[in-house]
Amino acid sequence: MDIFIQQILNGLSIASVITLIAIGVTLIFGLTGIINFAHGEFLMIGGIVTWLAVSAGLGFPIAVMLSILAVGLMGYVLERGLFRFTLERPTNGFIVSLGLIVVLQHVVVLFWNPNQKSIPRPLTTVWEIAGVRIASVRVMVILITIAVVALSFRMITASRYGRALRASVEDRDTAALMGIPVRRYITGVFVLGSALAGLGGALLIALFPITPFTGGTMVMKGFAVALIGGLGNIYGAVAAGLILGIVEGFSAGYGFSQWTDAYSFVLMILVLIVRPHGLFGGTSGPRMAS
Amino acid sequence: MIWSREDLKLKTVLKLAASAALCLGALAHPAWAEDNIVKIGVVAAESGSFVSAGHTLPAGVGLAVKQINDAGGFKVGGKTYKLEMVKRDDRTDIATAIAATQELVRDVKVQAIFGSETHDFTLAMAKITQPAKIIHFAGNSTLAKILNPDSVKPGGEDHYLFQSEPQEFQRSGSTARGVLSLLEPLLGFKPRKSVMIVGNDATGQFLSSYYYKALKAEGQDVPDIIFYPPDTTDFSPFLTRAKSLNPDIIHFWYNGDSTLTALPQALELGAAKSYFLFGVDPGIWKEKQLSADVPVAMSCVPVCWGESSNPKAKAYFEAYFAAGAPHGVTSSVSLLYHDYVHFLVEAWQKADSFDPDKTVEALLSLHHQGVVSDDLTFNPTHQVTHATEVCAAAPGGAISCAMQQPPAEAPKS
Repeated sequence: MDIFIQQILNGLSIASVITLIAIGVTLIFGLTGIINFAHGEFLMIGGIVTWLAVSAGLGFPIAVMLSILAVGLMGYVLERGLFRFTLERPTNGFIVSLGLIVVLQHVVVLFWNPNQKSIPRPLTTVWEIAGVRIASVRVMVILITIAVVALSFRMITASRYGRALRASVEDRDTAALMGIPVRRYITGVFVLGSALAGLGGALLIALFPITPFTGGTMVMKGFAVALIGGLGNIYGAVAAGLILGIVEGFSAGYGFSQWTDAYSFVLMILVLIVRPHGLFGGTSGPRMAS
Repeated sequence: MIWSREDLKLKTVLKLAASAALCLGALAHPAWAEDNIVKIGVVAAESGSFVSAGHTLPAGVGLAVKQINDAGGFKVGGKTYKLEMVKRDDRTDIATAIAATQELVRDVKVQAIFGSETHDFTLAMAKITQPAKIIHFAGNSTLAKILNPDSVKPGGEDHYLFQSEPQEFQRSGSTARGVLSLLEPLLGFKPRKSVMIVGNDATGQFLSSYYYKALKAEGQDVPDIIFYPPDTTDFSPFLTRAKSLNPDIIHFWYNGDSTLTALPQALELGAAKSYFLFGVDPGIWKEKQLSADVPVAMSCVPVCWGESSNPKAKAYFEAYFAAGAPHGVTSSVSLLYHDYVHFLVEAWQKADSFDPDKTVEALLSLHHQGVVSDDLTFNPTHQVTHATEVCAAAPGGAISCAMQQPPAEAPKS
């Protein structure tokens, strides 16, 4: 029984990391139409900034803030300098993001070598309850994810900014005629999604070592969760993240462990065939002005 | 033909430009450069998931090239030659590795190729190097799948291919024996049950099949081999599964980066009474200030840089790191290549020729003094034999290492 409960906790922990990535993906892809496959590299940069800050003697909370700011700023520069020119042609944006993957990976390799980077665990306590071990650092990540999800959900559904954003997803031209600064909102969403990647990277390196190539696998799962949950649907991303986390945890624990990743993507394919807008409904991405 | 004044001016400018280009070319390439340079190629993962082992190849080969050139080069046929390393990043991608090999063989016209360290890539690369009669060294034991008396004979498919790592039954055998003998006194009892956690790729499947037999040959009960997808970061479900089997030792194979990711999670979960980390150098253990409340064994491929019992290794790694190579989990993999650049040059000198057939003959007849061993030789199927170093960190932090000789024969399955 303790092993079973441990696997449920493992699944929750996996879900929290995937959900954090998926929220960034679902916001950017679902609300702006930008297919940023370099989102995983944004996450990796967040981890590297945290590593640099902690290595320089700064505390973990300050390092997290620096990561959020640095990756948010990077997102601003890249959206203004690159992605804004691809808004009318999302495929171009997709190709640009593929190029960015290689560029960002190699910039990190150039300056900080390709080896693994890690930081001392910010929380080291491990609780043992009835044979189940719970690492405090994992609890921290789960709690931060819950807070981020709640804030993002409120911002999108209840704030004036969120309502305007959803209106611009429905019809950009009409939203613009109503005085909504659509382009500025796109930049805002991109910066927010990037900042979340910065936070995700900081939390990721608190859990696991990272390399300049960590982003690739993470972003694939992020996209899978965003698509299963429904693009732009934060609630859907959380639910899909949970489903995927539990599926991964249990398949590794009780099934054919080598197929753990395959289960996620088979699930994504099935959902997209049966429910093209995801399990919980989502956008098809913004309709572009002709 | 009547030349206008403008045409003549243009001709003069072109002549001057051509002369300048020739002069610059002559300055850039000294007289000996064109004829007396021997190019050797390296194909390695300098990016991608296999980077921690991959980047050691150009570093090891590059160091050997520098040592040979700094010593004045080498003489073949009465002429002195120097080496030039031409390296290509395969990005841990087999198509890139194949394209890079084609370029090095057909365009750069290298005399020999080193790499790739990624097992199935080498098999694909050999399909290009062997028909082109290029001497090819690779430090991966899966080559045993294709190196046999028929394939390596003159005119055979893989006559010019050499495996610079011991056969897998030897490496697995010496590793298993070393791990068990070092962990037993630290555990205070004889370990009996082992679980293996292995990266699920061609390399992992190949290596684990041998290591499983080696553990069984040492009397271990191995109830499960748990495979994980490459690039896994959260190992907790796999480790929980291993924990449910109550093992004395969890053996992590084979990617050092993945292993270092998994170990802290294993310690948090209390998954086993002790651990073995394949391909993790004690140097990294110390540098990262790792610690564990249970004994942890480590093995190096083939000799450790952090705490070696091999006296030659210390000088080698000082030079290796002084040349700018980063301290890596598997920096020692460079030794599967460094020694063989020297070995190859010795063979060219003995053959007094770059002819590939004469070079193979010389390689098979030589006993080379390398860092890994004082007596490196290739057997008739082009494979080497040497010891593997295994270390163990006690819960208090003290690390002890020992060179483990390989078994003479493969265990009977």
